[in-house]
Amino acid sequence: MKSAADLQTVVEMTRSIPCAPAILPKLLKLAEGSSSDLGEMEMLINLDTGLATDVLRTANSAYFASNQRCENISDAILRLGSKVLYRIAASTLTGRWLVHPVRGYGWEPGDLCRHSLCVAICAETFAKKMQLADAATAYTAGLIHDLGKFALAYANFTALDEITNRVPDEFATWREAEKVILGFESTQVTKALLENWGFPSTFVSVGYYYQTPSECPDAERKIVTLIHAAKHVATQIGYGVGVDGFYYEPDEAALKEVGFKEEEMDAAIPEILSTIQRFISPSGEIRFT
Amino acid sequence: MASEGKIGKATQASDSFQSMGCEFPLSSSLESNKVILSPMASTFNPVANQMPTIIVGVADFKISTEPSTCLATHALGSCLGITFHDSKRRIGGMLHAMLPTASLHEGQKIREAMFLDTGIPRMLTALIRAGAKKGDIRCKVFGGAQLMATDHFFRIGSKNIDMFYRLSQEMDLDVVSWEVSGRVNRTIRLNNQTGDVIVKIPSKPEFIR
Repeated sequence: MKSAADLQTVVEMTRSIPCAPAILPKLLKLAEGSSSDLGEMEMLINLDTGLATDVLRTANSAYFASNQRCENISDAILRLGSKVLYRIAASTLTGRWLVHPVRGYGWEPGDLCRHSLCVAICAETFAKKMQLADAATAYTAGLIHDLGKFALAYANFTALDEITNRVPDEFATWREAEKVILGFESTQVTKALLENWGFPSTFVSVGYYYQTPSECPDAERKIVTLIHAAKHVATQIGYGVGVDGFYYEPDEAALKEVGFKEEEMDAAIPEILSTIQRFISPSGEIRFT
Repeated sequence: MASEGKIGKATQASDSFQSMGCEFPLSSSLESNKVILSPMASTFNPVANQMPTIIVGVADFKISTEPSTCLATHALGSCLGITFHDSKRRIGGMLHAMLPTASLHEGQKIREAMFLDTGIPRMLTALIRAGAKKGDIRCKVFGGAQLMATDHFFRIGSKNIDMFYRLSQEMDLDVVSWEVSGRVNRTIRLNNQTGDVIVKIPSKPEFIR
């Protein structure tokens, strides 16, 4: 498999995976909107039994519970607020998609999900500290930044083994190897998937440019660079990092342009790690809610 | 079995520990593209796979005084995973430290195991309290993976290795194996019976240090 047509094949194959996070763009729009959208949000959540269960469980958890139990989604939405609700939805839907067992990248089951969650939390933390983007948008962008890799692994490309075998002896970076061996990059797959699902252009840009933020158009370069930084910090932390993880080139010019400083990034790691450990147990089990 | 602070019965002395060759990194930053390897143990012990395992999280440490246990930690990334083993008493410990120094966080409440310069002294104190003898403790160090070369960003791996090297000299640690640097994410498991450490890297077979 080596041509541009194969990119389309990969995208088509992933259509058969259930629970694709395709309703996220709509939920995001509703979460940003007015209270009059709550009815529509309730309807969307009720379409997905697993998501509805997670929302109710969180609303009745020790953290959010009051004297009265939430018996339905409508009450849960009011208690949690649209931002928290959106976060639950993003994590549940993306996570469920990313935990399908796949072969490739040396991943253990759930690894891409763990790594994406770490990128999301790093992105959210830096977004708040540096005011580079809306925190919820940054979080979602972190969750979905590498969907194309999941799709490639799901398509069970034997070419992934070839990449593994030829990096770093023949190719210095994973990206270079993808271009030569696959004929396209995983970021192109991410872009195609997100466009198919109707994600806003911000997320499409993140998926397409996060490895090379300097190449991103000005309008979206900040959030793309934010995800680039979050990706590398999460890689250093280690959760779910596959065989490709350390073979990407940091874009120093973009990082500097946006105002990242190494000391500040390192200083944020204890806080990031505490947040991550609320969601990932020492043995690697993921608890989204 | 014991974790931090819980002390079990010390075992009889055993001379089964075999010192492994080691190679000290002169400067980890100069070796950023290389995995520093020490010789592999000749045999793989499948029994270790079936032993009860204590999991050590990131920024955490655990000790065990029960010989038939393993201590394991997942996905070190640029963190360092350091094993400590007193082979005579079969007391083992594992630290998974994320960052080199707590100095950036002066005045803040910190988790000691997060940092090498606070985690290692804490680990040694706990091991000695559990019955280990400082002079009999052998250390092995893993992790410190590094991203592609940059002058100003993402250098936690090399900083961790440099800091551990410095601390190991200052604290006179007997470091018998270095499996650090490179561009690989390591998972490690210490067999408390033998002191062997099983290393797992994505897409590669397990091996012993």
